[in-house]
Amino acid sequence: MTNSMTNVEFVQNLVKSNVNVLQEHITDQYQVHFVVEQDQVHYILNILKNAGWIQMSYLSAIDWPEENKFELVYIVFNWEKPVYVQIRTKIDRENPVMNSILPIYPGSKYYERECHEFFGVKFPGNPDYEKQLILENWDDIPPMRKDFDPEAYSKRKFPQREYSETYIVQSEGKSKLAKMEARKQRAESLRGGKK
Amino acid sequence: MKSTKFTPERNISKAETDRKWWEIGDFFRRNSLWLLMYCTGCCAIELPPAMTSAYDMERLGMGPMATPRQADILLVSGYLSLKTLRRLIYTYEQMSEPRYVVALGSCPINGGIYHDSHAVINQLDQYVPVDVYVAGCMPNTEAVMNGFVDLMEQIKNKSANGWKKYHDNYEWYRQNQIQSLGEVDVHDEFHD
Repeated sequence: MTNSMTNVEFVQNLVKSNVNVLQEHITDQYQVHFVVEQDQVHYILNILKNAGWIQMSYLSAIDWPEENKFELVYIVFNWEKPVYVQIRTKIDRENPVMNSILPIYPGSKYYERECHEFFGVKFPGNPDYEKQLILENWDDIPPMRKDFDPEAYSKRKFPQREYSETYIVQSEGKSKLAKMEARKQRAESLRGGKK
Repeated sequence: MKSTKFTPERNISKAETDRKWWEIGDFFRRNSLWLLMYCTGCCAIELPPAMTSAYDMERLGMGPMATPRQADILLVSGYLSLKTLRRLIYTYEQMSEPRYVVALGSCPINGGIYHDSHAVINQLDQYVPVDVYVAGCMPNTEAVMNGFVDLMEQIKNKSANGWKKYHDNYEWYRQNQIQSLGEVDVHDEFHD
């Protein structure tokens, strides 16, 4: 790498020379994302890790019900060249399966469990991905899917406090506005000097 | 020991004696309330000023306690997710009696801003009895202190009966807990 190259350019070169990038977006000088094919994710993450992107910052999913796809987002970070690289890929929504990246980034273990819990994405290769992590005894479709209705779930599952429609007027006296008017008139009447 | 003076023998019933001892106990109890703070919600931010020199909780005889076995008040500060509620019920049942519950904020009352969340319960008093609610999102520190004074007043008037209610209506509380939680027992990789 020559010194004239910025960090983002370095990443672009690295990624584009190795895999087929479907779409890219540069947010700013610290953030960039690439959309790649599903079967190239492991390859590009391996290359990025060897190039210094050693930290698995986050792994999550985005639900696109219109396209019938889940978009997985892998965010990795390099402490030498400060750029967050997002590797995105779209996978099938009906049968969401993605091979685990546990051999590349061991820290992704819990992110994969979380993703499985909230979106229902399966991660074969991760021995624990089906264990419950945050939700306990969940009995519905994964809650971060767009077709899940949290309000209906809340109404069905948790008792609601009921409020009566009627209400009580506590002070039977004058309204606030009338009181203000009366105060004004009183103040006016007390005012000395020229009217 | 017989006194040399004549003292009329008093026939106090057992109930009467118990009542007197409870009054004595309540006097000391309400002047040295120990809090078990279950600081899971955002209302917990009101506790540092309440505890430190600004409002100085210690002048009311209140202090923090690390273990549920020795605490009098279970302080629920804010929203409760299902996972938290399970641990809260555990903690509540560990506490020795008499035990009181103070709930801060609007979330334990009716769900607050989380009323439509899949993860947060809407009404705490369906699961454990609550003695004092401090409304607000979040309540002022003055309101929190006032809530504690209210609780002391309730103990004095013998109206802080949440723990007795829990005994009497245990089946009802249990049924609600199971309806919302499925299973109250904690099963996770740290307990199994």
